[in-house]
Amino acid sequence: MPRQDGWWETIKYIIVEALKGSRRYYLAAAGLLLLTIYGLYLWIFIQHAPVFLGTDYGGLILTGMNDSVVWGLYISFFVFWVGVAAAGIAFSIAAYVFNHPEFKKIAVLGEVQAISALTIVLMLIVVDLGRPIRALFEMPLLPNLRSMLDWDFIVITTYLLINLVGALVTIHYYRRDKALPKKFLVPFMVIAAPFAIGIHTVTAFISQALTARPIWNSPLLAPRYVATAFAAGPAILLIALYLAERYIEGFSVSIEVYKKTLYLVAGATIVGLYFTLSEAHEIFWYTTEPVKWAQAKELFYGPHLPYLAVLTWLWIGLGVAAVILALIPSTHNSKGAIAFISLLVVVAVIAEKTLTIVIPAYEPSTLGEIRPYHPTPIEYGITLGVHALGLLIYLLLAKPAIKAIMTHYFKPGAHHH
Amino acid sequence: MSVGPRREGSGNGSPKVDESRRNLLKAMAVGAGAAALTSVAAVDKEKFKKALRKVSIEDLLGVPADVEAGSTLEMRAKKKEKELKEWCRKEAEKICQERGDASEDCKLARQKCDLITVKATPAKKGVRYAMALDVNKCIGCRRCVYACVMENNQARNLGIEWIRVLELDRMEFQDLLGSEWYYGNEAPKKENVYVPIACMHCENPPCVMVCPVKATWKEPDGIVVVDYDVCIGCRYCATACPYGARRFNWAKPYVPVQELNPNMHILGNVPRQVHVMEKCTWCIQRTRDGGVPACVEACPVGARVFGDLNDPNSPIRRIAEEYGLFVLKPEAGTKPRFFYFFGPSRTPPREEAKSEGKEVKENA
Repeated sequence: MPRQDGWWETIKYIIVEALKGSRRYYLAAAGLLLLTIYGLYLWIFIQHAPVFLGTDYGGLILTGMNDSVVWGLYISFFVFWVGVAAAGIAFSIAAYVFNHPEFKKIAVLGEVQAISALTIVLMLIVVDLGRPIRALFEMPLLPNLRSMLDWDFIVITTYLLINLVGALVTIHYYRRDKALPKKFLVPFMVIAAPFAIGIHTVTAFISQALTARPIWNSPLLAPRYVATAFAAGPAILLIALYLAERYIEGFSVSIEVYKKTLYLVAGATIVGLYFTLSEAHEIFWYTTEPVKWAQAKELFYGPHLPYLAVLTWLWIGLGVAAVILALIPSTHNSKGAIAFISLLVVVAVIAEKTLTIVIPAYEPSTLGEIRPYHPTPIEYGITLGVHALGLLIYLLLAKPAIKAIMTHYFKPGAHHH
Repeated sequence: MSVGPRREGSGNGSPKVDESRRNLLKAMAVGAGAAALTSVAAVDKEKFKKALRKVSIEDLLGVPADVEAGSTLEMRAKKKEKELKEWCRKEAEKICQERGDASEDCKLARQKCDLITVKATPAKKGVRYAMALDVNKCIGCRRCVYACVMENNQARNLGIEWIRVLELDRMEFQDLLGSEWYYGNEAPKKENVYVPIACMHCENPPCVMVCPVKATWKEPDGIVVVDYDVCIGCRYCATACPYGARRFNWAKPYVPVQELNPNMHILGNVPRQVHVMEKCTWCIQRTRDGGVPACVEACPVGARVFGDLNDPNSPIRRIAEEYGLFVLKPEAGTKPRFFYFFGPSRTPPREEAKSEGKEVKENA
C-alpha cells in the first residue's frame, strides 16, 4: 500500500482502533455514551428548553443558581478540569526536557488527558451559558479584549489545538514505529509549555481582580490554581496508567515513572497546602475587610453552607495524609500504593478546587445576603453527562494512543528501551 | 402633511417606508388623475409609474437623514416595535377570547398594543446624568421598587426588581453585612435606616470591562445599558458588580400585556428574553425625553433627586452644593454616579417627639 504513511491513514488508524475492543470496552463506552445522551437531553430539552425549543417551562431557574449566586456547580468543575488539562503537558515537558525514555513512552497519554479535560471544560461553559449559540457567533465578532473571559476562551481553544496536534503527531510516528522528530518536538514544547501554565493562570485571572468578590482578591489565586493543578493532573495520569497496566495486556510502565511523578504530585500538594495556610493567615489574622472575613468563615466553618467547610477540611486532611504517605518509603515503592495516594490527591484537589473556590465568593453576596446554594438534580445530571463525554473521549483516544505506544516501544520478542 | 391613511407602525417615528410609499403613490395617482384627466377614465399605470420620481419618506417628513437611516439601533427599534405589536395583539386576543370583548382587561390589552412604541433615542450632547437619595428621608416603603417594576416591564413571574432596599441597623451600620432585604410592611422602624440600591451607573463600571461580547456599555450621558439582543448570559457582569445591581432572566420572563408599559426604549424596558441580563437604566425611555425616572416620581417622601451634573441649575447640583454627595463602597474604585446624601428634614424619633408633647401619628 503506497499511502500507508499518510496522515489520513493515521486518522483512519485512530478511528479503527477506537472502535475495536473487548466486550468490557464496548460496555464501558456504551455506558458513557448513555450518560452523555442523558446529560444532553437534560440540557437541550429541560434546562435550555426555552432557548432551543421556545417553550415556556425550563430555563436556568431549574438550577440552584440565583441573582446572589450566579455561578455554581458548572463553573466549579470547570475550574477543576482546567487544572487537570494544564497538567497534561507536564509529562511531555518532563519527558523531553529531561530526555527521560520511560516518560517519553507515556507522554502522549498526558496530551490525551488534556484533550478530554478540555472537552469537559468547554462543555461545562456551554451548558452554563444562557445563550450558547449567540456566544458562538458573538465571541469572535465582538471581542472585548479587556474581558478575561475572551482571553480564557482564546488560550483554552489554542491549548486544545496544541494537544490535538501533539497527540496526532505522536500516534502518527509511533504507529509506524518511528521516534518523534526533534524538528517537531522542540517548537512544540516551546509553544505548549507556556500555554499549559497560561490556561490556568488566565482562568484564575477571571476572578482574581474582581473587587466585588473579596475572597478572590488574592494574587495567590493563580499560583494556587497552578500548584494544585500540578497535583491533580499527574495524579489522574498515574491512576490511568495503573488501570491501563491492569487491563491492557503487554503494557507496562516502569515504577520509576510512578515514583518520580509521585514526587511531583506530593511537591505540588505541599505547595498547595502552603498557599492555603498563607491565605488563611491573611484572612484570619489581620484582615479588616468584613465581607472577605464573612466569606472566609463560610469557607472554613460553613455556618450556612456546611458542605463548604467539609470540603475545605477534606482538602487539608487528605492533602496532608497524601503527602505523609508519599514520603514513607514502604508506600511509595508499590504501584498500587502510589495509585491509592494519587486517588487521595485527586479527591483532595476536587474538594479544594470546585465549590470551595467558586461559592464562597457569593456567600455572603456583595450586598451581604446569604442565600445558601445547593446544586439541584438537573445540575448534577448535566455535570455527570459532561463528565461522561470527557471520559468517553479519553477512552476513545487513549486506546489508539496506547496501541501506537505499544507498536513503537513493546515490540514482540525485542527488548524495549 | 397627511400621506394617505396611517395604519400601523406609526408611533412617534416615521411609518414603515414601503407601505407609505405605496400610499403616497396611491394618493398622487388619485390626485393627479382627478385634477388633470377627469375625462380620461383609465391611465396606463406602468407608464405613469415611470414618469414619477421616487420620493423617500425622510425627505417628506423633514427628518434629518443621518438620524433616521444611519443608526442601526433605530432600525432595530422599529423592527422590535413591529414584532412586539404582533406578539401583543396575539396575547390580547387570547385575553379577549377568555374574558370577552367587553371586559376591562381586553380593552386595556388592545389599547396597550396600539400604544407600543420602541425608541432608540440617543444620548443628548453634554448631558451627564446623576441621581441622589436622601438617606434621612427614605422610609423604606419600597414604592420606588414597585414603580420601577411597572415602568420597566420587569418579569412578574421571576420577581425581578432592579432596586433593592436594604434595611440596616441605624446605630451599627458600617457595612452591608447583616442587611435585611425582606423586611415586610413594618417599615419604617425607628431603629433602622433604609438604603435603596440599584445600578450606580459607575464612571468606571466593572461590568462593562468584563463583558466578553460588549453587550453592555456606558453611554455618553452616563447611563450604563445592556443590549438584550447581544447578551450571551454568561453572568460575568453580575459577578463583577460590587453593588449586586444586575438581574438575570433565569426563565422566560412574563409580563401581562394589560400591564405593559408601551413607552419603550430598545436599550431599556423592551420586554426581555430568557437568559439575558438586565438592570436599572435610569428609565432611559423617560429621561432621554426630558423626564425623570419612575422611582423619583413615585417616591412619596421625595427622597430621590435626578438631574444633569453638567447643568448648574439642576437639582442634583443644588444637593451637591448644599449637602454634599456620598458614594457607597468607594473602595471598589468604580466612581458611582448614584449618590447618597443626608438631607435636613429628618423626622424626629417618636419617643423624643412624645416627650416634647407633640402628636405622633402611628404608621405615618
